[in-house]
Amino acid sequence: MLRLIAVRLLAAVPVLLVVSLVSFGLTLLVPGDMAAELAGPSATAADIARLRESLGLDQPLLGRMLAWYAGLAQGDLGRSVLLNQGVGAAILERLPVTLSLAFLGLGVACAIGIPAGLIAAKNVRRWPDQATMGASLIGLSLPDFWLGLLLIWVVGVKLQWLPTGGFIPLSEDPLGWLRSVAMPAGTLALTQLGPIARMTRSAALEVASSDFIRTARAKGLSEIRVFARHVLAGALVPILTVAGIGFGLSLGGALVIEQVFSLPGVGRLVIGSVLRRDWPVIQGGLLVIAFVFVLVNLLVDLLYLWADPRLRAQS
Amino acid sequence: MLRRRSFTAGLVTAAALPLPAIAQGKKGGDVVVSQQAQPPTLDAQTTSAQATRNISLHMHETLFARDEAGDPKPDLAEGVDISADGLTYKFSLRKGVLFHNGKVMDSTDVKASLERYGKIGTSAFIMKPVAAIETPDANTVVVKLSQVYPGFIEGISSPRAPCAIMTAEDCAKPAGQGGSIGTGPFTLGEFKADSHALLKRFDKYVANPNYKARDGFAGRKTAYFDSVRFRFMPEGGARTAGLQTGELHVLEALDVPAAERLKSDKSIVAYTMMPWAFQTLMMNTNFGLTANVSIRRAIQAALDLEEIMAIATSGLFRLQPAWQHPNTGYFPGTEGLAKYTTQNKDRAKALLKEGGYKGEELVIVADNSFRNHLDTGTVAAEQLRAIGMNVKLSVMDWPTVLNARLRPEGWNLWPLGMGIEPYEGPYGVVGFFAGAAPVQIKPDPVIEQAQLQLTTSLKLADRQAAVKMFQDRVYDQAISIKCGDIGVIQATRSNVANYAPYRIPRMWDCWFA
Repeated sequence: MLRLIAVRLLAAVPVLLVVSLVSFGLTLLVPGDMAAELAGPSATAADIARLRESLGLDQPLLGRMLAWYAGLAQGDLGRSVLLNQGVGAAILERLPVTLSLAFLGLGVACAIGIPAGLIAAKNVRRWPDQATMGASLIGLSLPDFWLGLLLIWVVGVKLQWLPTGGFIPLSEDPLGWLRSVAMPAGTLALTQLGPIARMTRSAALEVASSDFIRTARAKGLSEIRVFARHVLAGALVPILTVAGIGFGLSLGGALVIEQVFSLPGVGRLVIGSVLRRDWPVIQGGLLVIAFVFVLVNLLVDLLYLWADPRLRAQS
Repeated sequence: MLRRRSFTAGLVTAAALPLPAIAQGKKGGDVVVSQQAQPPTLDAQTTSAQATRNISLHMHETLFARDEAGDPKPDLAEGVDISADGLTYKFSLRKGVLFHNGKVMDSTDVKASLERYGKIGTSAFIMKPVAAIETPDANTVVVKLSQVYPGFIEGISSPRAPCAIMTAEDCAKPAGQGGSIGTGPFTLGEFKADSHALLKRFDKYVANPNYKARDGFAGRKTAYFDSVRFRFMPEGGARTAGLQTGELHVLEALDVPAAERLKSDKSIVAYTMMPWAFQTLMMNTNFGLTANVSIRRAIQAALDLEEIMAIATSGLFRLQPAWQHPNTGYFPGTEGLAKYTTQNKDRAKALLKEGGYKGEELVIVADNSFRNHLDTGTVAAEQLRAIGMNVKLSVMDWPTVLNARLRPEGWNLWPLGMGIEPYEGPYGVVGFFAGAAPVQIKPDPVIEQAQLQLTTSLKLADRQAAVKMFQDRVYDQAISIKCGDIGVIQATRSNVANYAPYRIPRMWDCWFA
């Protein structure tokens, strides 16, 4: 297993290199820069050039690239002039928001989606199946921004149960933290619930027709036990795949959710930096997001080994 | 020989809003203000972003600041003596003014701030005529100009990219890294990008004793709230919801449909400000079709400005053709302007024919970051297609459009809302069309002459004539289209007492009832 982890982490190096090169390439291709943004629409090219110089943005790309890679080799992702802080620190500052959203959203989606998928598989082509799959289709089809605004309107404005936006760190006020992330994580969960429920249903149906399930039933196990223990265990690999992708996307930044609920997460940081042309943050952010995807994929692969003894034996 | 002069003497100030009564407020409370955008930096001198201004003008002050009517008034300065030849400005500073770090402001801080602005300020051109800055004593600063520049006080008092007075130590910092210490009624507590900026009341704030109450960005400022939290919330629906639930107390802008919907809500007070900005369509007189004056006149004649404004502003607009706000000192009137914007398709087609139009492409560059820009571009494109023009609407993000419009070629029309420039007066507006890099790309000799007259004439009447000359030229040569005036709605919870809308949501001289 250690060898697998080492190989996968080594394989990530070229991926991260390509991501960083592409992000540097974008600085050449995408017009506009932060000096123009700061100077405003009535600034002249000379004004912008002067500001660019004072911000240190007039260095040649190759020089900036080499300096950035030299810093990266020492674990330094660079510094944002606009944020007036290190890129690594800026990302770390936002990680609690993004992690809160990702873990809670996925947790709720799995807690509801997996049982719902199993119930649908157990009652295939009967009303519980149609009701569950219909509901999951609605969750899958609704745009997340609309769902978020709807929740704000109903839960925040009308019922006044939860705050309409903002984030309270867990370390400051645990209850406040839960209240601040409940709605956005709920929105995220509703959008992830559909794929998880549908994948669980289709995987469970496939497993349910296997010989070992027939054997389990022949042994006289209850249907609940058959599905909860044996069918679910056999169906875990595809469910883990879907959940892993959802988790990776959430960590990369559930941008729309962060925008709607005004949450200072990683996604909003990166998109805001794109709009401000804050290249050090874009480069660092993309690199971290790519690394997170690599890690999540690795984690999912390890979970495969845990979930499927056949894969364990092969490896 | 120096003499004390009032640089606003003779200006018509009928637009001045009535000054609020002397504040009778109570201290305490944490007010939450919501704004759409995150400030790109809190270094006030280095950006013209409204998002920064909203915050930094609570922390920073300037030698002169604009009053309620937009005219310059002494703020950190007691006053100024301007020499008869207009080349020497002797500022006497208010004594005992404290920076947030406890240091007493003196002339070295002012000198360093002005010099920093001349190097890295967003409107550094203000300092271009400055030949020397002298500090004969701790409370006097003498600015010597190399040429007459009657707009100097207007320039240093503008809130666009404020010429903030900072400590001399802070002034040594590079662009984007200074500006955390000022003399204003609030100090910086915390800034979290993508989340909020927290300001705290500066209890040692030295209010200007020469006034009785707030007056624009000047006046006697009193901070009542313990803290002001500016939250950056990109989603309009979430901002409105926050105001409804009471999580937010003040919105810098409330959508027009939301304001309509909340009319009957007694817990919310909406304040409509008209005018807030110009909606314009800039033309590139250097490139392609719009290099041809007949084609530009055809565009001018074809556009239905009322339709454009109605769609671009959700109905919060007025059709006002002048290139200055009415009831201000440089308002050039509107006489004779109606003949240019006739919405006459036949005349427009005749002008196209006169200009030899053969179906060449007209490029409109519009950004999708500001709704009024995109809507203006979209509606104008349709209206021009209706007279047979081949129009390409290129929609990009804001930084890309800013980059594109600086290029001498590749674009013909650029929809732009001008907010702070017309508020500043004529210098920002006329200056936009003049100088080495005018917005229309190709310099116009008459506008250059108007700019010269505006910036060098000591007589107010001559400067007013220069603005009229500029306006007549812009219309006659169809150099740009002034579509109309945009309004804005600021909103507060009803328990925010004594609030008065202005260019920023001012959190001094108001309190929780």
